[in-house]
Parts: sequence; structure tokens; C-alpha cells
Amino acid sequence: MTQTSVRGASTPTHGRPASGHDPLRERLGRLLTGAVGTIAMTLAAVIVLGTILAGQEFLSTSNIAIVGSFVAVPIIVGTFAGFSLLSGVVDLSIGSMVGFSAAAYASLTQAGWGGWSAAAVTLLLCLGFGVLNAVAIVTFNADPIAATLGMLTALRGLCRVLTGGSGAITAFNDQFYEFTNKSFGPLPLLFFISLVVAVLATVVVTKTRLGRHIRAVGGEERAAQRAGMSVARIRYGALMLSAVGAGIGGILYIGQLGGASNTTGMGLEFQVYAALMIGGYSILRGGVGNPSGGVMGLLVVAGVSNLIDLTGVNTYFTNLIVGALLLAAVFLDRLRGGDAYE
Amino acid sequence: MRRVGRGPGRRVLSLVAVTAAASVTLAACGGGSTSSGSSDGSKTLTIGMAVGGQPDVDWQKAQGDVARALAKQRGWNYIELSNNGDAPTATKNVDTFIQKKVDAVIEFNGQPSVNPVMAKKLAAAKIPTITYDIAQQGWYFVGIDNKAAGEAGGKALGEIAKSKWNCDVDLVLSAEGKAAGPVNEARTGGMRTGLKSVCPDIPSDKYVSFESNGQVSVAQPAARDALAAHPQAKKILVVGINDSGVVGALQAAEQLGRADQIIGWGQDGSLITGANVNPHLAGSVFYFLESYPTYTFEQILDKIAAGQAPPVKDTGEDPAVKIQPCPVSAAEAAKVPGTSERVAQLAKAPKGKTALDLFCPAQSG
Amino acid sequence: MTTTSLQAPPSGRPDGLLRARPDGWGTAVTVALAWLILIAASSLHSSDFFSHQTVLAVTFTMAITGVLAVGESLVALSGGILDLSLPTALVLPAYLTTVLLDHHVPTAAVVLLALLVGALWGALNATIIVFGKLNPIIVTLATNFAGLAALFLIFQAAQTPQASGIRQFGKGYFLGLPNIWWPMVVLIVVVGLLIPRTRYGRRMTAVGGNAGAAKARGISLPRTRYAVFIASGVCGGLAGLIFAASNASFTPNEGAAFLLPVLAAVILAGISLQGGRGNLLLLLLSVGFLSTVPTSLVFFGLNSDWQIVFQGLILIIAVSIDGHRQRSARA
Repeated sequence: MTQTSVRGASTPTHGRPASGHDPLRERLGRLLTGAVGTIAMTLAAVIVLGTILAGQEFLSTSNIAIVGSFVAVPIIVGTFAGFSLLSGVVDLSIGSMVGFSAAAYASLTQAGWGGWSAAAVTLLLCLGFGVLNAVAIVTFNADPIAATLGMLTALRGLCRVLTGGSGAITAFNDQFYEFTNKSFGPLPLLFFISLVVAVLATVVVTKTRLGRHIRAVGGEERAAQRAGMSVARIRYGALMLSAVGAGIGGILYIGQLGGASNTTGMGLEFQVYAALMIGGYSILRGGVGNPSGGVMGLLVVAGVSNLIDLTGVNTYFTNLIVGALLLAAVFLDRLRGGDAYE
Repeated sequence: MRRVGRGPGRRVLSLVAVTAAASVTLAACGGGSTSSGSSDGSKTLTIGMAVGGQPDVDWQKAQGDVARALAKQRGWNYIELSNNGDAPTATKNVDTFIQKKVDAVIEFNGQPSVNPVMAKKLAAAKIPTITYDIAQQGWYFVGIDNKAAGEAGGKALGEIAKSKWNCDVDLVLSAEGKAAGPVNEARTGGMRTGLKSVCPDIPSDKYVSFESNGQVSVAQPAARDALAAHPQAKKILVVGINDSGVVGALQAAEQLGRADQIIGWGQDGSLITGANVNPHLAGSVFYFLESYPTYTFEQILDKIAAGQAPPVKDTGEDPAVKIQPCPVSAAEAAKVPGTSERVAQLAKAPKGKTALDLFCPAQSG
Repeated sequence: MTTTSLQAPPSGRPDGLLRARPDGWGTAVTVALAWLILIAASSLHSSDFFSHQTVLAVTFTMAITGVLAVGESLVALSGGILDLSLPTALVLPAYLTTVLLDHHVPTAAVVLLALLVGALWGALNATIIVFGKLNPIIVTLATNFAGLAALFLIFQAAQTPQASGIRQFGKGYFLGLPNIWWPMVVLIVVVGLLIPRTRYGRRMTAVGGNAGAAKARGISLPRTRYAVFIASGVCGGLAGLIFAASNASFTPNEGAAFLLPVLAAVILAGISLQGGRGNLLLLLLSVGFLSTVPTSLVFFGLNSDWQIVFQGLILIIAVSIDGHRQRSARA
């Protein structure tokens, strides 16, 4: 139930006793072996270690707020981008899309547009770019990595054009800032919203027919096609979702950060995809991955970084640990049935 | 193929073990915080410093090193975080400083578009903040007046153009660094202003900009293209955001066979010393960025510790601490010591001795 | 078609020698035509464009990209998809060159050592790929990450000694064109001619076309991976030498900017990232065209931000055309 791979080459779907008798211990075992289980264990380990090394401060409300505020936008962007991964297409342009969206939204609001209309236009533009990605990748069969790298470049250029000679647009809005920075009980509101989004996405991915179709298209493209699913339509939709998610992220950044710069979103794709892979997705094959795994992946990385900040260790080590986690995740993915590269 | 039970359980356990081992090792190796020990009756402060985080620029790390040494000198606590050149990280660092209840924050934020938000948070927490080089309302401004630094360099270059070519210049190239935002406008724009003050009759269409990103490898091809587009220009000046941008253009001219037609003046002093100075780099402007903490501690933080916080002066025109730029010609530059030597001297310099006193040839004679 | 899945499509194309026309004829004509149109349009807009100065500007830009593109093409051709450790593969030998020259090591030794370091870097990549059986994209991404982190620990800025032979070589000319351009041309021509005409080249291409079938035919996959990634590393070594010779002052992260132009050049040359298809000789055309674009844009008066937008668009269009051609070839 927790293993979302359609391939079935790994543990859970095989080996179920024919009699239907399914002892709790075995189900628990399957839970723990899956991608989500592994990352959940890792997150638990980080929390335990954080409490040991940084004390009470680690789980204090203010500290959770720090980490939560930092990962809120990446969670939203990553959840939407995860749909694209599930359908078998990696969209590398999400970071630049965030930058473009932030710059576009900031430009519009500074030119006098109201917040909602500016947001609508910005998201429409992002949707358009998502369609461009889809046209190249789905209709023209372009290699997704190369095509979205091209879009990454083009959008970064547009972001620079929009931010102009000074390289930044200030767009501080009191209301928007309050919204993105206020709390909802013990958690930051934005963090809470991002978690809700991730939960909804998890439900879609694991429980709905749409989710099954997306995973099928990503996991076994030919089989899905024979079963009558429209691979093209699903991938179009997934790429459009990915673009819109990045667009939403860019707009939210304006609220959180009060402005856009020509480097907004730079490197975000790396942060997001590293976390998604640590959380069980694969950028090399579709059909595997679960939004809740992605959230936990992001929390693990942010948690480690926060721990390093709190304990005064040289921040250089953050990169090392993320790299190690990434390699571990890729290894585990292979053990779980991913293609061995020869 | 069943792999439940011991297999995956062992894997998970090993992952936990690795993380645990790594963390314990890190904790043992860690050490950005120094412990306290009061000295002369004034308060023991906890200083939070956010360094820029750009890995290939040694002065950002040097700023942290000098600050750490000065805090240690005073027996204060010191927390250093890196802004990583990233706006969300800079905001997160501010949140962390607030949580850690620091007494003052020093910021070098390469993404100043997010400064207003950070200022709001720090003001709400009533934490005095000092900013290096990039002005923000409400923050003590410590820095080079980038405009003045630009103008000083531009003027020096103008003087050379006047004596050599009588200001009859065919082309003025500007190596921009747009990612630096307002610093680029002030510094590179300032160089043009300084040049114009000496050679006002150069027509505006002779001023051509190209993007250098502050790097030779980006400046060189861009300058090549710009030079190729102006093949008739025989007397060419180059200004830019830093030495690398300017040297990129100088080397581009060499590649196009036009080495003797070009003269440049740089900024930041990074390529004006040593054995490989480009012969057409007439000079540069030192800022001694690593010395900022010296001014910060002596003129602001010591006073805050003694309960007499100075008034907050937050603009480049009227700053809390204005640091004079040190323009040097190529010949004079040989007298200036390298960065690590300067850091070492600053860490043990007596109070009141500034970097300009110690290192600037014009000042120290 | 899944991202970079190695469920390799059956290519079913006969070996190169049996075809009447050289491989990639259509692509060659397209790129050459695009290049000519660009030159014509730029020259019409500004008479200064058609000049020796422009030729120098473009050829200097071609040199490093072209050498790196050979390495990436070999990786792509053999089914290794991409070597994303290009930035480190460039800067590491370049840094070593400056250090060796500072210690007055003779030029011949410096060249050999730079190439050797490049080869070792490639071997490192290959070892992790072969023994971990991991996808090269992930591996080279990770090694690049680690490599850059290591480089940052070692140095912040490096300079090539002005008086050194290598620096003087980087400044000089041969037959009116930059010295550093010629090794690039020789490399592309030699490798491009040898690939379809030697057993090793054909085997490598076969592995790219269908690794499973190649393995069944007895071709050693690990040996191919080692050969290809070491070759890519050696190209990085040569590019690093050229970089040190011509750029002369650099920081560790200045290699990253080459990744996109190189990738665009490989794809524009019709060398498919899926592997098994492509003619390296076309790199001369694609690198030339892509190096002319920024210069043209300057003559047209567009600033560098728009250059970046155009670069991105060109890549998307090129890769769409390539994908479309791939699909029609299989249909």
C-alpha cells in the first residue's frame, strides 16, 4: 500500500501469501522497506540527533518555524514538480520558472496591478512556458533533460531582462508579507499550507485513478498506452502542473522575501530534486515516488542544515551530508528495483 | 523476491548509524561559537555574523576570520552563518540569530532585495544591525562608498587618458556585473562619472557596456564581441566592477591584436599585485574589505557593549563608518601585502590603527 | 519516451560504412544553412561584421567549447548520456597547469600531466559508474559537486604565469587564426573520422545504440565505459590547458558556464543523447554556429540577457528537431 512503484520488481507486491493471510509484522515490514518508510526513518533519526546535539532548542516552536518557513515554498514547488517526475519527465526548468514568476509578479504589482490579477497573469505565463516544454518533449520527442535545460536558460534570461539594470525589483507588500509570515497555531501558516498541499497530492497519487494513470505512464509507458491511457495528455498535464507549481512558488517568494532578484530561484531545482530523490523519487525513471516522501526529504535536508547552524559547525559540511544522503538514496533506489546501469 | 525482515531493517539501521556517526564527528569538529569570558566590566556580547558565502572570493571568508578574532579578543560570543548568496537563506539566518538572542548582527548580504524583510524582523526583535557596503534603512552602514570608489578609479583613468591622448577617446568599455545589483550601478557607474569629470567631451555613444559577471571567462568573450563591433576604435579605455572584468577586456584586446590601443583601471585590487599583472592595467582601487570588522567592533560594537549605542546612520552618503577607498597605480600596488598577511596583521593590530594606515601606499607613504 | 531510460530503443541502423551518404548529412546542411543565414543577416545589418576581427572573436570562443564538446559527444554516443562533471574536468587540469608553471616545470611535462589528470578524473567517474552500476548523470553530478567543493578548499583564484610558454602559446596565432583554435579542429577532425572507421569507434557506437545487444555480441561494457569517460576526461585536460593558456586568471567556479554551450553544440550536431547516433565532424559546424550567435547579437545591439534567452531557445528548438528526427527514424 505504501510502495508506489508500479513495476513490482521490488518487495511488497510480490511474495504476498496466496492464502490472503497478511500478518501485521509483514505489513509493517513492507511499510518500512518502502521509499516512504526509509525517509521517515531518516527524518526520525535527524530529529533524535538534533535533540541530542542541539538540545531543547531544536524542537522549539521558533526553530520549527525557521525550518518550516524555509521549506514551505520548496515543498510546494517540489510537490508539483513531482507529478512530472512520476509521469516520467524531469522538468529542470523549475528554478528559473520560480525566478521568472517572481520577477513577473513583482513587475506587475510595481506597475500598479492588483495582487490577484498580477498573480493570474503570471501563472498564465508560466502555464504557457509549461506548454512549450510539453510541446518540445511530448510532441517533438525532445530529450527532457536537454529541453528543460534550454527552458531553464531562456527563463533565467527573461528574469534578468525583467529585473533590469539593477538586478532586483523591490515589491514589499504588507498584507502579503503578513500572510506568508504569520503562524497557524504552532506552525507557520505557509508551512501548514504546503503540508496540506502535499497531503492532497499524496492522496491523488496513491488513491485516485488519475494518480494510478500517471504512475503507469511513468513506470511502464508502453503498457499504459496499450491499456488505453493517453500518455501524451498525461505528460502535458504533468508538465503544466510543474510549471504552475513553480509559478505559485515564485509569487509566494515575493510575499516572503519582499522582492525579486535576477538570481531568485537559482539552484532551487537542485535543492528540490535532491530532496525528492532522497525522498524516493527517481529522476531517471518515472512511476516511483510519493509526495510525502518528498516533503520528508526536504525536511531532512533542511533539518540537517539547521542543526549545523545551531551547533556552529562549518556550513561546508551541509553539502557533504546532502551529497552522501543523495548517494545513499540512489543506491537504495537501485536496490529497490531501479535499473542497474551497465 | 522477499526482502522483508532483516534485510531492509538492517539497511534502515545502518542509515541511522551513519547519520549518527557523522553527526557526532561533526559535533566534535565543530566550532563556530567561542565561549565567553568577561573582560573589562562592559557587557559580554553575542555577535551574529552573516558572511556573504561566495566561495571563490577570499575577502568574504576573511571578514569572518577577522570578526571572530576580534570577538575572541574581547571575550565575546560569536556565531557565524553563511548567507550562501541566497535570499531565503539570508532570511533564515536572521531567524536563527533572533532565536539565538544575539546582541548584534553584522550582515553582508549579496541579495539585498530581501533586506527590507530582514530589517523588519530584526527591528521587531530590537537587535541592532550593521550592514557592509549595502545600505538598508535602520542598519548601521559600514562601507566603502562604492560610488566614491568608482569615481576615484574613473578619475585616475581619466588623468591617464588626458595626458596620453588628450581625452580623445574612441571607446569606453564598461565591464558590468549585474548580479551585484546596486553595487554594480554605484561602482561601475561611478567609474564612468569619475572619467567624465576629467574628460567630459567623450560622446555618450562611445560608452559601451558588456556583462562580465565579475569573471575573466565571461568578460573575455563578451569584450571580444564588443571590440569586434567597434573595429575603428584605436584609443580604448576600460572600467568595470572589478579587476577580473577589466582584465578580461584587456586580454580580449590582446587576442584581437589591439593590445596597445587599450588601458584599463580596475576595482578591488585582486589582480594588481603579484608577478602576472596585465601590463595594460594601469591601476585599481583597494577596499581592504577584510578590515571592515575592525571599524565595526571599535566604532560601534564596543560602544554598544558600554551601553552607549551610537546613532544609527544608515546611508552611503551619511554612514556610521565611511571607509575611504585606496586607489593605487600598478607601480604603487607592489607595496601592498596580500590578503592573508593583511588578515593576520589586522587580527593583532592595536586599537585605532585602520587598514588604510597599515596598507594604503598613499596614506602610509 | 522516458527521461533517460536505458531501455534502449532498437536502432536497426546499419553500420556507417555501408551507407551511401555520410551520417548526419541532413543535419549538416541545416546547421550550415543556419550559420550562413546568420552571417549574411549580421553582415547586412553591419558592414563591420564580415571582418578578420569577427573571425578572431568567434574562433577564440570556439576553442574551449569545441574540445569539451568532443568529450561530451563520445559520452553521448556510447550511451553514457552526459558527463555533468565538465566544470571540474576543465578547472582541475587548468589549476594544475598554473601550479606546475609556477614551479617552472617544462611545458611538455605540464601538457602531459594536465592530460593525465584529466584522464584520472575520467577514470574516477568510470569506476563509480561501473562498480556502482549507477547512472552516469547522477554519478557525474555528484563527482562534480564533490570536485568543486574540493577545489574551493584548495584555491580561490589562480593565475597562469605570463612568461610561460603555455601562456605565450595562448596569445599567439597560426595562419592568421588563434593558436588555440587549431588543436580543437585537429581533435574534432581526427576523432570524427576515426569513430566510424575503427573497430573501437564502431563498438562504442554499438554500445550506445543498444547496450544489451552489444553485450550479447561480446563487447565489454565496462571497458567501453572506462574508455569513454577517460577520453572525456582527457578532453577536459586539453580544454583546461587551453583555458589556462588563454583565460589566464580564474576562480574554481568558472567552468560551469561552459556546460550549456557544450551541450547545445552536441545536440545541434545531431548527436543524440540516447546514444548510438551521430557524426562528430558536425561539431565544427555546430560549435561554429553557436559561437557566432553571441557576436551577432552584439552587432544587432541586443544585451547579454537576451543572449541567454536566445541560447536557451536555440537549445530547445535543436533538441526538438533532434527528437522529432529520432522518432521518424524509428517509425
